[in-house]
Parts: sequence; structure tokens; C-alpha cells
Amino acid sequence: MESCPSVKNILLLDSEGDRVAVKYYSDDWPTNNAKEAFEKSIFTKTQKTNARTEAEIAMLENNVVVYKFAQDLHFFVTGGDDENELILSTVLQGFFDAVSLLLRGNVDKKEALENLDLIFLCLDEIIDGGIILETDANVIAGKVASDSVDSGAPLSEQTISQALATAREHFTRSLLSD
Amino acid sequence: MAQYVKKDDDRDEEAEYSPFSGIEKGAVLQEARVFNDPQLDSRRCSQVITKLLYLLNQGDTFTKVEATEVFFSVTKLFQSKDIGLRRMVYLIIKELSPSADEVIIVTSSLMKDMNSKTDVYRANAIRVLCRITDGTLLTQIERYLKQAIVDKNPVVASAALVSGIHLLQTNPEIVKRWSNEVQEAVQSRAALVQFHALGLLHQIRQNDRLAVSKLVTSLTKGTVRSPLAQCLLIRYTSQVIRESSMNSQPGDRPFYDYLESCLRHKSEMVIFEAARAITELSGVTSRELTPAITVLQLFLSSSKPVLRFAAVRTLNKVAMTQPMAVTTCNIDMESLISDQNRSIATLAITTLLKTGNESGVDR
Repeated sequence: MESCPSVKNILLLDSEGDRVAVKYYSDDWPTNNAKEAFEKSIFTKTQKTNARTEAEIAMLENNVVVYKFAQDLHFFVTGGDDENELILSTVLQGFFDAVSLLLRGNVDKKEALENLDLIFLCLDEIIDGGIILETDANVIAGKVASDSVDSGAPLSEQTISQALATAREHFTRSLLSD
Repeated sequence: MAQYVKKDDDRDEEAEYSPFSGIEKGAVLQEARVFNDPQLDSRRCSQVITKLLYLLNQGDTFTKVEATEVFFSVTKLFQSKDIGLRRMVYLIIKELSPSADEVIIVTSSLMKDMNSKTDVYRANAIRVLCRITDGTLLTQIERYLKQAIVDKNPVVASAALVSGIHLLQTNPEIVKRWSNEVQEAVQSRAALVQFHALGLLHQIRQNDRLAVSKLVTSLTKGTVRSPLAQCLLIRYTSQVIRESSMNSQPGDRPFYDYLESCLRHKSEMVIFEAARAITELSGVTSRELTPAITVLQLFLSSSKPVLRFAAVRTLNKVAMTQPMAVTTCNIDMESLISDQNRSIATLAITTLLKTGNESGVDR
């Protein structure tokens, strides 16, 4: 058993199984082809399941994969086969909820692509090299959205409304610039 | 729900829409020249970095020359005071994983950031620097990293501790010198800092049985704040139990009471970690197993598939060696045969084949 809980990858795929954003922390899939093959098989395996209200779980290639869907977005978190399933699902939930906050509840592919920078930052705040950095969605979203907040204010004191305000501002800016 | 349905109807029209449709590497690399502008447009620069990250994320690769060129122009962006842009700069540097001779170019900027008054800068600069650093540079920044471990901002402390866990693989002799700071961080009031500190401290000491045993003894008596840290402590406790099993009498297992007390924790991940640890004890007695089986049995009827799966998978393993201990769960297990999740159903069936008797088969 790994002495420290570890995550092998986090995937955000669309309703065709194509990448929106992915991050791999393990050498199990050394090439892009290997990564894509893994994504394709997990997408196919889970496509017909219902993971919209509760997170679901599956085994694939001796890995545990937990997943959750919202509209045309599919969220996955993968860990080794002796990892604590509930730890993986806590990571998944943190990721899912943080993305929901950052996309102001409009959890779909269009919104995710328009705010892809926030999604990348979000992934960066959840896991560092496979080690869980933070699982609390409010904290994750707060850290990602911190650019508009007074830099003197401690991150921990940021509120959801501030995070949302930033996300909203970000959204408006991207609309105006197009 | 009506909103969701409507969204699906609209999707066909929007299917083609993507801010990245038709994006080409060559064009984006051209666009990256804005990083060299004397008057930086931070919004525009952030967008270009996002495009570069998008390409890399889609599996596109940059040649050595392209990567170097992007890296050098990205370093110019440290002049900007825009926090949002700076965070994108940190991200792209990590993705480009510059070579040792290139790293020198950003070292001073990152060292400045890791001593900044802005917490976001400190935490992120530490993570970037530790990711791209080598042994020589590490000695230079060691002093700051030790400070960061005991920083009053938990985000900064965690950044330094997690970096320490990674660096321990490449530069163990340096990281081992941070023991005192790490030990102080284990006492942190911040839940995640305690988790990261405990993870690092254990890795520093992992070859020293006595030290690990002392660590476990002292922490199992105190209060561990985060569920994740508690899961770590359960793993380390199991390790100590395994290593001391030679000397102890059957029925007199050290730390069993601690594991059992974790079955009453309020967090499901801790309860499960403890239950699993108990089932994996070598030569576990049925008396020791009973409380663990009881909580796993409760999980079998949970509304959450992840909990049902975790429980049935663990019980399935127990059934391989001790089928009798699992028979109490047979009724709950039978109802899982028709579970919507096929993995759960399959595990339930194979478990029942090991524990079931004729009456079960009839049902």
C-alpha cells in the first residue's frame, strides 16, 4: 500500500470522450497514445452509467476510477487498486464542486472551455504531483479566483461570494473580448 | 430539471462552438511574441498562455527549440504585477519543464516570489521552484523552504511540505535535515498542513522502525485534526503492528484499540480505512474482525455507490480467507446482486459464492 494516498490522474472529458482538461501524475501511461487509450476505455466503460446524482465507481486496468457527470462534462479521478476509494471520491467531489463554483453553476463544456484557465488552475490546486493538496471545494475555488482579491487578505479568509464575484467578472471579460 | 433538458436541445447548435476551434500550434507560437512587448497586456498574455496549455493538454508537443523560445519569452512576464497572469506563468513553466541551464533564468524571479509578502506568490513559487530545481539550487533555497514549512499561512506551509515529499526522492540527505520544522508542522492547527507534515515526517523516518513506532505512539494518544491525516496514521499504525507482530502474544495486539476507536470516527473515509486495516491484520481473530465487519455491513446498504463498492470489495477479500466471518452480511450482499453498478454486483456474487450455503442459492 502507498504510504501516502496518491492520485494517478484527473480527467475532464466531454460527451464524446474527448479531452477538455486532463492531468496525469503517474508513469503508467507514458505516451499520449497510452493516455488517450485509457481515456477512451474509461469513457466507453462508464458512458451508459448514471453518475449524475451520486459519484460512481469502476475498476479499469487494476485501477480504481471514481466518476461523476454533469450535462456534457465527465469528471474522473483514478487511483491505484489498493487506494482508499473514499479518499478518491473526496478528491473527485472537491474537483467537481470547485469547478461548479468557478463556472457559476453552468457546468457544461462551453463554459468550461471559456474558462479553461480556471480549470487548469483548479487542477493545480487540488493535486501536486499525485499528492492531494486540497479537497475543500470552497478553498480550491477561492484560491483559483484569488486574483481579484486584495493581495493582503489571507486566502483562508476569502469567501465563496468573493470567489464567485471573480468568476463572474472573468466570464464577463471573456464575453466582451470575443 | 427542465433547464437541463433545454440545454440538451440547444447543444446541436452549439456543438461546433469552442474558443479553441481551429487552433494551430504555429499560430499560437507566433502569438506568444506578445510576451516580449514593452507594454504588457496581461489579459492577452494570459489568453495566449491558456492556448499554449490547451495545446500541451491535447497532447501536442513542442520541439526543444519551440519550448525554449516560449520559456524565454514567458520569463519576461515576471515584470507584470498582475496576479492572475503570474499564476498562469507558474503553470506554463511547470508544463515546459525547462532544462537545468534554462532554469537559471527564472531562479532569481522565483526566489523573489517565494519571499514575497503575497501568500499566493510564496506558495506557488515554492512549488514551481522545487519542481524544476536541482541539488545545487536546492541548497541555496533550503533556508527559505525550512521557514516556509512553519509559515503561518497554511497554503505556504503545505506547498513546502508537499514539495519536500517530492524532493525526498531525489535529494533525501537535504530534506532529512528539515525534521525539526516538519515535526513542528505536524502540530499545526491547519488540517491539511498536519496531513502533509505527517506524510513527509513518516517518509523521512520510514527506515527507522523505532522512530516510526514513537511517532505512532504519540499521535494515537493525541488528536489528529484532518481525516486525511487520520488515514495516514492508520496506515502507519498497521505498519507498526505488522513489524511488531513477532513479539506480541495472540489477543494482545498493540494499537488494536486505536484502530477500533477509528471505526467510530465521524468521517467515512477514516472509518473505512480503519475497517480495512483491521481486516488486513495478519492472523486477525474473529473477535477482532467483528466490529470492522459490522461497519462494512452498514456501508453495504449505503445510497452511495462508492461506499457500497469499497465495502463489498473489502468483504470479498476477507471471504477468501475467512468466509465464516462474512456470512453475517449475506442478506445485504444478496440485495447487491441486482445493483445497477456491475462491479458491485459482480463482487457481491463472488463473495456469496465463498460464503453462501444452499439456502442462499435458493433465494
